[in-house]
Amino acid sequence: MQAKQYIGESWKHGILIIGAILVLLPFYMMVSMSLKSQQEIQSISGGLIGAQEVQTFPVCVKTGYSEETCTTKPYIYNYWFAFEKAPIPRYLMNGVIVTLSIFIIQVLVALPCAYALAKLRFYGREFVFSMVLFCLLIPVHGIALPLYVMLAQAGLVDTYSALILPWTISVFGIFLMRQFFMTVPDELIDAARMDGMGEYSIVWKVMLPTAIPALLAFAIFSVVAHWNDYFWPRMVITGNRDLFTPPLGIREFRGGIDSDEFGPMMASIVTVTVPLIVAFIIAQKRFIEGITLTGMK
Amino acid sequence: MIIILIFPLFLAGGISFTDYNLGNKSLEWIGLENYEKMFSRKTYVKMIWATATYVIVVVPISVVLGLCAAMLLNSLRFGADIYKTIFFLPVMATLLAMAIAWEFTLHPTLGIVNSFLANGCGGAREFIFGFHWLPWVDSQQSWYHVACANNMDFPYWLKQKNTAIWTICFIGIWQAFGFNMVLYLAGLTGIPRELYQAAEMDGAKSTWEQFKLVTWPMLGPTTLFVVTITTIRTFQVFDTIEILTKGGPSKTTYVMMYAIFEKAIQQNLTSIGAAITVVFIGFILILTFFQRYIIEKRVHY
Repeated sequence: MQAKQYIGESWKHGILIIGAILVLLPFYMMVSMSLKSQQEIQSISGGLIGAQEVQTFPVCVKTGYSEETCTTKPYIYNYWFAFEKAPIPRYLMNGVIVTLSIFIIQVLVALPCAYALAKLRFYGREFVFSMVLFCLLIPVHGIALPLYVMLAQAGLVDTYSALILPWTISVFGIFLMRQFFMTVPDELIDAARMDGMGEYSIVWKVMLPTAIPALLAFAIFSVVAHWNDYFWPRMVITGNRDLFTPPLGIREFRGGIDSDEFGPMMASIVTVTVPLIVAFIIAQKRFIEGITLTGMK
Repeated sequence: MIIILIFPLFLAGGISFTDYNLGNKSLEWIGLENYEKMFSRKTYVKMIWATATYVIVVVPISVVLGLCAAMLLNSLRFGADIYKTIFFLPVMATLLAMAIAWEFTLHPTLGIVNSFLANGCGGAREFIFGFHWLPWVDSQQSWYHVACANNMDFPYWLKQKNTAIWTICFIGIWQAFGFNMVLYLAGLTGIPRELYQAAEMDGAKSTWEQFKLVTWPMLGPTTLFVVTITTIRTFQVFDTIEILTKGGPSKTTYVMMYAIFEKAIQQNLTSIGAAITVVFIGFILILTFFQRYIIEKRVHY
């Protein structure tokens, strides 16, 4: 019996390890290419990190840097040159600005709405809620084009507003918070009213603290989605590099260096991908919970 | 308050249902012309075809893989958390970046996949991946053997007409199945243990019988949800197409989202883009109502 269990366990691990290798393959390729020199990449040699020989990089010299600056180890060169070629910190900053503003405005809008829908009695509440439910069905990508036309008419293409505005009203956020607020006992709110609190301060001082877990899940959902979003920025940002979000930066990098050098390109890609992955690995329980909670409604 | 907030959404929906020529200063009513174009031109037929292929391939495979992975992980004694983290990585990583990473992994001359295949000519790899172990495959005629014989002529994956869409599908599955797995894991923890004991008493001894009797029916709501959300997501595939194939080679990967983008933004044919948008939203709404219908009919115990 014991032996049989071991065999069962090992073939399961076998399958899972093969799966894991397949899943990790592009990550391996990405990191490896960001560390190796162009010759090593082209001859597919050097394993994960390459030989790391000090050498002079011709593309770098051609760009106009002195020979001294251009003579270094491949991994240093790749990352240094990536940052030299494109304003990567700027792209990351844009990513942070956009995702954070989206999230904050989403919360500012969703919390009062959800509170009203869950706890206040007003004429047409059922109708409004059914509207929210209907809006949940509309695919975000589907209305991208009309949204784009509206923004173009308003002259907002190529601005931060174009990146942020369409996402500020999260129907999904309203729905999620409403479901959560339904579970908060009415007595709590009545007590707050007795104490003389206004409806708005009830939302921020009473409801908000109880909603932290749901809010955290929603935060993860929102930030991940908008940090990684490529479609929308690609539509509304046409040429202004100062507004590029990280995915747009990657795209530009790929177009720019394509034929010359792959190392710095991969270095920039790694830099952009790393923040979320590190955050995920540190707080993976929360991430997976957050994504499943928001997923399962 | 909410009415004002939702209003843009409806206005947006409204615009997409008119066929005015937006972008120009003058607006002209052209009726159904755009739709006629859409259903008569070859490009759009190919577009529907590419989208349908992608959805029909990616959804079932990523759902089944997600379920299998979840069941495997659930039955493990140790190490499940590590696999869970690894399989979930693609969901978190920026898809655009990973698409480029895949492009190089599958690159005909620089890629690790083709060099792995080329180094394996005549060896065990040829036997395994050339399917020589299947009784009906002639080892001299297998794709692997032919490629080895023709000066390492392995597929160009993304650059070749007959492989591009499948490669894109593969990347789609790679990205989606971890998400489904996590949802299924959550679903599995919700199944009470007593049900398995009861099933065993009723004579369902084998794992397969227990799966059929307990696990699968209990996962019904999860499955429905997973299928719907995966379908909606796969319909919206854009990143991989835009960066890797641009709809090519010869429109084999010309999916709807990319068509909308190309027509409306790059070629400034807003009205045609809007027509595609309407068809797109139509598809999604039909799917969602279909799902609601099934929920009401079946998923009650």
